[in-house]
Amino acid sequence: MTADVVPAGERDLIRVEHLRKLYPVRRRGVFRSRQTGEIRAVDDISFTIRRGETLGLVGESGCGKTTTARAMLHLIEPTSGSAFFGDVDVLEVFAEGRREDTLKIRRRMQYVFQDPYLSLNPRWTIAQTLLEPFRVHRHVPEADWHRRLVELLHLVGLEEYHAWRYPHEFSGGQRQRVGIARALAVEPEFVICDEPVSSLDVSVRAQILNLLVELQAKLRLTYLYISHDLSSVRFVSNRVAVMYLGKIVEMAAVDELFSHPMHHYSYALLTAIPVPDPDVPAGRSVLVGEVPSAMRIPQGCRFHPRCPAATEVCRTVEPPLAPAGGDRLLACHHPR
Amino acid sequence: MTEAPAAAALATAPPARPPGMWRQGWQRFRRNRTGMLGLTLVCIVVLVALSCAWIAPYEPNDQSAMMRFGSREGPTWAHLFGTDRMGYDVLTRVLYGAPTALAVGIGAMLVASVIGILIGGISGYLGGMADELLMRFTEFFLVIPVFIVILAVVRLFGIVVVGSPLESIPYLNLMTIILLLGLFGWPSIARMTRAEFLRLKEMEFVEAARCIGATRRDIILRHILPNALPSLVVIVALGIGGAILAEAMISFLGFGDPKAISWGQLLFFNYEALKVAPWASIAPGSAIFMTVLGFNLLADGLSDAFNPRLKQ
Amino acid sequence: MTEPGAARPLLDVRDLRVHFFTGAGIVRAVDGVDFAVQPQETLGLVGESGSGKTVTSLTLLRLSPRPARVVGGRIDFEGEDILTKSEKAMTGVRGKRMAMVFQNPAYSLNPIYSIGDQLGEIVRWHEKVGRREGDARVTELLRLVGITDPGARLRQFPHELSGGMKQRVCIARALLCNPALVLADEPTTNLDVTIQAQILDLLLELKDRFRTSMVLVTHDMGVVARMADRITVMYAGRICETADARTIFRSPQHPYTRALLESMPRVDHSYARDDARRLPVIAGRPPNLIEPPTGCRFHPRCPEAGEECRRIMPEPKAIGPGHTVSCLKRGSSGVAA
Repeated sequence: MTADVVPAGERDLIRVEHLRKLYPVRRRGVFRSRQTGEIRAVDDISFTIRRGETLGLVGESGCGKTTTARAMLHLIEPTSGSAFFGDVDVLEVFAEGRREDTLKIRRRMQYVFQDPYLSLNPRWTIAQTLLEPFRVHRHVPEADWHRRLVELLHLVGLEEYHAWRYPHEFSGGQRQRVGIARALAVEPEFVICDEPVSSLDVSVRAQILNLLVELQAKLRLTYLYISHDLSSVRFVSNRVAVMYLGKIVEMAAVDELFSHPMHHYSYALLTAIPVPDPDVPAGRSVLVGEVPSAMRIPQGCRFHPRCPAATEVCRTVEPPLAPAGGDRLLACHHPR
Repeated sequence: MTEAPAAAALATAPPARPPGMWRQGWQRFRRNRTGMLGLTLVCIVVLVALSCAWIAPYEPNDQSAMMRFGSREGPTWAHLFGTDRMGYDVLTRVLYGAPTALAVGIGAMLVASVIGILIGGISGYLGGMADELLMRFTEFFLVIPVFIVILAVVRLFGIVVVGSPLESIPYLNLMTIILLLGLFGWPSIARMTRAEFLRLKEMEFVEAARCIGATRRDIILRHILPNALPSLVVIVALGIGGAILAEAMISFLGFGDPKAISWGQLLFFNYEALKVAPWASIAPGSAIFMTVLGFNLLADGLSDAFNPRLKQ
Repeated sequence: MTEPGAARPLLDVRDLRVHFFTGAGIVRAVDGVDFAVQPQETLGLVGESGSGKTVTSLTLLRLSPRPARVVGGRIDFEGEDILTKSEKAMTGVRGKRMAMVFQNPAYSLNPIYSIGDQLGEIVRWHEKVGRREGDARVTELLRLVGITDPGARLRQFPHELSGGMKQRVCIARALLCNPALVLADEPTTNLDVTIQAQILDLLLELKDRFRTSMVLVTHDMGVVARMADRITVMYAGRICETADARTIFRSPQHPYTRALLESMPRVDHSYARDDARRLPVIAGRPPNLIEPPTGCRFHPRCPEAGEECRRIMPEPKAIGPGHTVSCLKRGSSGVAA
């Protein structure tokens, strides 16, 4: 693939190009280790995120969605590729590692983590956790720290007295609010939400989802929302990208994708989700077999061994992610 | 419910001292009987060590009992634990052994902790090649027959030092032993530190700090190390007991510091008279036993308090 | 209190109370729970974490963990009270008449025994048969749960199987002795959705083939909608509502059931793309079970709660065929707590 499949546009805030993350698989000998293979966790993916939208990134475990997000914020080092934030290739800046430059980027992009029980330092009060961004970035004069701290707490629906509590005194939902407040403390433009509700109780999920939508409107945020829970994706996202084994297989506006999935994998994923209505035929399996190991990615279309419509061409030629009418991108030889 | 009278305080700075985790640990520890027994034993040893100069009935080097043909005398009111074959009051000597034991235990573990935390921390945080090299280095230290090396070094050093200006340093021999015990005692601490660092550096709150842009120093000193401390405290407490025991063995073999009064040395002086004056061996032996037991129980209790299995 | 002549349920739980005696206080994990399971029926036991659903299911097998004690109630299974049985008699129930499928298949198989060994042992122990017959039975079941080449799998170890395969093995293990009741505790929560769909299909098929009853414990309303004949909704150690599946989803009566269903985003629902879109929420957070709210457990979060809900703990009230609700606003009576 040489030409960019993703047209760059004015409205794009983030442009990820040819991002790859390979993990070498080594067999350890007595004296040295030998590389015996590689796991292609993220295998040359490109996409854009528009200013002010929420892009949902969905897929099953091991499809590379979290790896993609972590690579964008350099929590892991990508093997190759670039991620443009405006005109700046953030991955290049991280690789160079000049502190002023990386801090500038960290102020624009933030991350909300999956597990609120692990994402707060158990030894720190909420105030300490929320003031850390101020300490690092110094973007707020120290005299205003208290005022900003209270503002942040109120922004995410917490009270001032919560600041002196420790994480163990909070419920999961409240902790996740703190995690969101920490991400917002640097006033970012772009926030990656990595399964922000999947470890929360059902009755609390709606609160956090509403909060995310509300904050997006209030602060003009752009989200990358990663989840395996397609119901919440449907609620928060404007566009959705479906990943399978390290590749994006389909990408479209949320309602288009959910009501007319064109890739056979997207379709299988959607029909597999049980719906809280006994009369709706859902939660059914149309796929045989399981996801192959990312160490042995099939030749040709990587979905062909499980695909009901696979033909000879699917076994040999890998379909590129190409425009498929409207706003949709699709990587399939025989779309539904 | 902690309410917020601190509203005014916050305007100046965030609260600096977080008591949460330690206080929780203490509450769990208090309910742990064996742990409290250990703590009590350790406290007794520490109190004795601090006050031995005042509570001991005789001077530590008072051999006057010898003049009255009172050596190897069984317990009497004058000598509660009896006297030994050189006319020392056993009780006095045992009391004076406490500061030596604590100095050895704490000193050796201080040295070991500094080295262990540094090496384990670097190894765990950096990973990769540095980890590989440092861990091989640690394993190398684990296979050295520590005891023989220490005995050899102590003896050789004792010979080399004769006639040099170093000779005038008090307790030089004891300090050598402390240093050597520290130098060979760090691998277990390094391994524990590495394991904790490996576990903690993958935790989401550490990643969150990296996302914020915190420096590596901040991440290590403010996020990872404080959360690793509970496990380290446990292993250090265990190590203190071990070091005390090791010093007792060294002294028992006659390689100890002749000028320092140590329980092992008391055993060394008196074991030949075990049949005629058993009290002179039993008292220091029991002191070693109680102290080491105390530290081990303390470590056990701490480990239960900080790593509760059944978290409700 | 079953009337003579009426079809006797397979499992009848009456006023079950399980409390955890911890240092911090008594946790009332299960606090007066009634439900019944008819032969060949699937009952969905739905609730959030801390609702007591898992403790309830473990107690049915007398497997509730250490600080927990059953402090009241009875569990009649096949006409005998499980709670008064000797430990020895229980071994004849567990795995033989009542079997369990756990949430995490990775932890519920013993890693040091081959699949054939650990499943074969169960058959040999319960059915008193030889190795050859035992292996034949295991192979037969592995084939039924959709494992290809079951003869070869007998010699494999759990770590050689994927998560979905392990859960299939666990299901085979549960069905080995043809139990009357299978307890499935979040059997698909740790699996990917496409694998979950396969496992759900499998459970439905096997339930028909083996004519077993099932208690499906889950927090996922979608899964129960797909699987259950009747549904019991739990909140904070109490039962809110029991009804057949269609009634629960079509006309839920308890405010908690309603709120729970409304607050879930739905994959088959199109949401407006404006910034003002909101999901209906359940305010507040799940209660602390050491000091549960007085009266109705749900009243602090309930939009309909009145003054009496604070004082009176509602008792289940039948409001339709097979439909019971514990809510003062739906006509329940209750005792002041």
